Amino acid sequence: MNDGSVRQFYAWFTALGLLVGALVVLGYYKDQYREWKDYQHKFINEEIRRAATPQQKILAEAIPVEIRQILLPELNRVDRCTTCHLASEDPSYGAYPQPLTYHPLHEQHPFDKFGCTVCHRGQGRATTAEDAHGNVPHWDQPMLPLKYIQASCGQCHQAADNPGAPQLARGQQVFEDSGCRGCHKLGGVGGNIGPELDKVGARHTPEWLKRHFLAPSTVTANSAMPPQKLPEADLEAVTLFMLSQTGESAPGYYASMKVIPSPGQGQRLFTQKGCIGCHSVAGQGGKVGPALDDVGLRRSPEWMMAHFRDPQSVTPGSVMPKFGFTESEARALTDFLVHLRERNVALSLPSLMGPVERGRQVYRKYGCAGCHGADAKGGVPNPNAKTAQQIPGLLYVADGYTKAELKMRITKGQREIPALDAKRPPPPLYMPAWGSTIGEPELNDLVDYLVSLKPKGEDVGF
Amino acid sequence: MNPPTGPAPNPVSRRGFFQLTFGWLAAAFAVAASAAGAVRFLVPNVLFEPSQVFKAGKPDDFLDGSATFLEDERVFLVRQGNTFRCLSAICTHLGCTVNRADHGYHCPCHGSVFDDQGNVKSGPAPRALEWFQVTFSKDNRILVDKNRRVTAENALVLPAKV
Amino acid sequence: MNPPAPKRLWQWFAHTRVGRSIFRVGLPQSNLERAQAMVSSILLHIQPAKVHRHSLKPGYTLGLGLVSLDLFFILTATGVLLMFYYVPSTDRAYQTMKDLQFVVSAGLLLRNMHRWAAHLMVLFVMLHLCRVFYTGAYKRPREFNWTIGVGLFLMTLGLSFTGYLLPWDQLAFWAITVGTNIAGYAPVIGPKLQFLLLGGHTVGQEALTRFYALHVIVLPGVAALMISVHLWRVRKDGGLSRPEEPGDVVEQRPLEQLPVNKSYGLMELARGTTPQVGIDPQDEIFSWPHLVFRELLLFLLVSAVVLFLAIFWNAPLEEFANPIHPPNPAKAPWYFLGLQELVSYSAFWGGVLVPGLLVTALVLLPYLDRNRGGVGRWFARERVVANTIFTICLLTAIVLTIIGTFFRGPNWGWVDPWKPTPVQTEGH
Repeated sequence: MNDGSVRQFYAWFTALGLLVGALVVLGYYKDQYREWKDYQHKFINEEIRRAATPQQKILAEAIPVEIRQILLPELNRVDRCTTCHLASEDPSYGAYPQPLTYHPLHEQHPFDKFGCTVCHRGQGRATTAEDAHGNVPHWDQPMLPLKYIQASCGQCHQAADNPGAPQLARGQQVFEDSGCRGCHKLGGVGGNIGPELDKVGARHTPEWLKRHFLAPSTVTANSAMPPQKLPEADLEAVTLFMLSQTGESAPGYYASMKVIPSPGQGQRLFTQKGCIGCHSVAGQGGKVGPALDDVGLRRSPEWMMAHFRDPQSVTPGSVMPKFGFTESEARALTDFLVHLRERNVALSLPSLMGPVERGRQVYRKYGCAGCHGADAKGGVPNPNAKTAQQIPGLLYVADGYTKAELKMRITKGQREIPALDAKRPPPPLYMPAWGSTIGEPELNDLVDYLVSLKPKGEDVGF
Repeated sequence: MNPPTGPAPNPVSRRGFFQLTFGWLAAAFAVAASAAGAVRFLVPNVLFEPSQVFKAGKPDDFLDGSATFLEDERVFLVRQGNTFRCLSAICTHLGCTVNRADHGYHCPCHGSVFDDQGNVKSGPAPRALEWFQVTFSKDNRILVDKNRRVTAENALVLPAKV
Repeated sequence: MNPPAPKRLWQWFAHTRVGRSIFRVGLPQSNLERAQAMVSSILLHIQPAKVHRHSLKPGYTLGLGLVSLDLFFILTATGVLLMFYYVPSTDRAYQTMKDLQFVVSAGLLLRNMHRWAAHLMVLFVMLHLCRVFYTGAYKRPREFNWTIGVGLFLMTLGLSFTGYLLPWDQLAFWAITVGTNIAGYAPVIGPKLQFLLLGGHTVGQEALTRFYALHVIVLPGVAALMISVHLWRVRKDGGLSRPEEPGDVVEQRPLEQLPVNKSYGLMELARGTTPQVGIDPQDEIFSWPHLVFRELLLFLLVSAVVLFLAIFWNAPLEEFANPIHPPNPAKAPWYFLGLQELVSYSAFWGGVLVPGLLVTALVLLPYLDRNRGGVGRWFARERVVANTIFTICLLTAIVLTIIGTFFRGPNWGWVDPWKPTPVQTEGH
């Protein structure tokens, strides 16, 4: 080996050694400099500045710079938002800019049990702002815009009559009123013309959902869904309701408060569970148990709760069965009974209604309005359909069909809709077969309702 | 026999000297930095255990004169009047969970007996039970920090409510 | 003249009692010591004391085999570190990947290093294979070493494939679904093989566990053994291939002609030639420092490249694996995309017959090739037929891979990559 090659080797060795050394330093630096450390230093300096006493100053100086996380094993997630959002529990930070802003507390939802992402979505495991807020590729749960936050309430709580989430409740109302179930299944009930909606809130962005209501064919190729004409507030509400349909069920502890206690919820449960079968209100109902009109004056709420949990324990020999109510359901029913007198409740109970009224409920329940219009007035477009390119209204069905024929029609549906112009594509919307979904009693009531629709005193003169 | 082909003793030039030193230094630095980086990598930055700092609850959740056992955190939350303290429930002998007795605490494993202050009255336990720091959180809850050990006198005193 | 300070420091230490007990040969000062340094070191002794001048020519081997080995070392080191955080459970694997990225010091860097080194290793093993072919270095007596090399190539693909599943994201899940489906097309044994690989009928927890075991211990262990044999054979076959010169001894001494002394010592028994036999003295070069230092330089270069890539480009991590939501199209890892393209024409011909024939041809190549000439030179004239055939196959494989990578879109339909992707109205 000669001098030249030794020196050459050493030159290369130096160059490459320096290069590798520099790259190691660069890699280390890039790794050590983290966005969250910046925010933590800002917060600590602010705490030191605001310290009023020497003890507070010592406490402030002792705040460590480290990643903070909330472990939520039951929800299968870890939320690291508090690494940057350090003042979320301190009301005195209300006027500070993000990320050091105060988050108003919900007594029922402490942060250490719920974390952040279960309501706000986003990527809880991330430690940079952009990744954590989730508007990044390959993360399909970006943060919800704040105006849609009530959608998250729907993951654990019922939407209807929800006093804490009025927009969510309104959204469900609009959904039922518009008859969406006529084409879409939700919770297993509905038609099969459009896709099921149970996971739609997890699969689409709020913008997509809203646009889908306004102009379905612009976001879904070959969509047969007619554009929905709704006022802006209702549009936002029903978008929010769709966002709440994530298909995730709350586990264990989190599902125990599904029903938020309120007199409205209690009334709902009262109707659903069939209490009127044994008890009477306003003179109507069963005679097996006592009348409930004044029960709020005679019994304390604690007694009622115990009674709901186990009737035998407070009334030995009672024939009232144990219904297995959850705590929140029992509380809702108690609320309802306590306020019964004040509410002057006009109970709309199925057993008290006539068949036509019941039939109207059935019409609403299965979303017939989605195709046949609110109050069966029609007006929903069906391109190239012989019936004036619309789905026919049902006001005059009594003229053309007997009850038996109507029942057959609803049960079997009609797959082929006569086309106006054979050269154009066939009409996209059709009548599903409801036979396997709607049972006999509901079918009878529905038919009674439909034949009652013909406006009185009109002579159509076919 | 082959003539020796070793390098002739060569004077190292200044450039060669610097190159050599820097080369070795850089390479040694790269190796050391990589090793240090690997060690740092192995030190966890977050733990997936229940946090050592936790909220025990609201003051009203605890009755006056009570020592409430918190199962997940293995501590007793002791309240006297408006004074709150937190005592470790882990026996200093071999780590069993002690039980509350009429006065003081008693370990079911080997019979150690502690008084209300956590001091050892009898049994094999070598040290007193530990007290943890109790403060008041910004959202009005009792905040326990098991990382900070304090003396028995140290307590959270809340202003008396009407 | 005084050697520089580090060298003096080292020389001092090497002569202390502690130093002498550890390092049996200090920094070599004489030729004898240079030879001894190679033989007496456990790390170095797989290499000979002297190498032929030709073996050190960078333009000949391009150092491709060494680069592959260096990448293997880097992968092992980074892989072992990653094992301290990764959990091979379908619930937790993805989460641990996110944790590595966000909360583990140097986690992202190490993960990136591991990923890019893996892709590079597959590439460089392929390049090494091509180099060995084009220089005719698989011919007698090196046939079996070529076979081991093909085995190592398959090990590399296996390591990359098993590792690909571990992040448990959409990319991983569907690439392995496609890959194991291709395996299932083999006649007779296909479905059984697929069942064995997956530990079941679907890509699930059992598949993840098996792939993890294969990836961290079985395949690396077998590969390490095979690498040792591969390097050992290089020595025993007479060093790296080179152009033949008169006087080169290729025949081996028959075992029957044992010497009279019958001491059965190593020097009597060792068969095969050493590089020194029949070589001009000026053609032989001491491994220390010439070979060893060049290897060190190459390792530094490879490390620099891997570090550079890892610092500036992140390894991909897509959404959490969703078995009911395949991406359209679902693509295998890049080294299998050529296969996937073939399979799209015919499952059997493309997935089984062609690759099966290719691997068989590769393994049997040295025994099929009767032409003994053309060793030690690139693109030797007397091998034009073999070189042409190989080049055609190589180009075909490259073209198929390019098609599979860039020219296939949803439903495996043809797309022109220079045109903008059509806006999808479904989804987001």
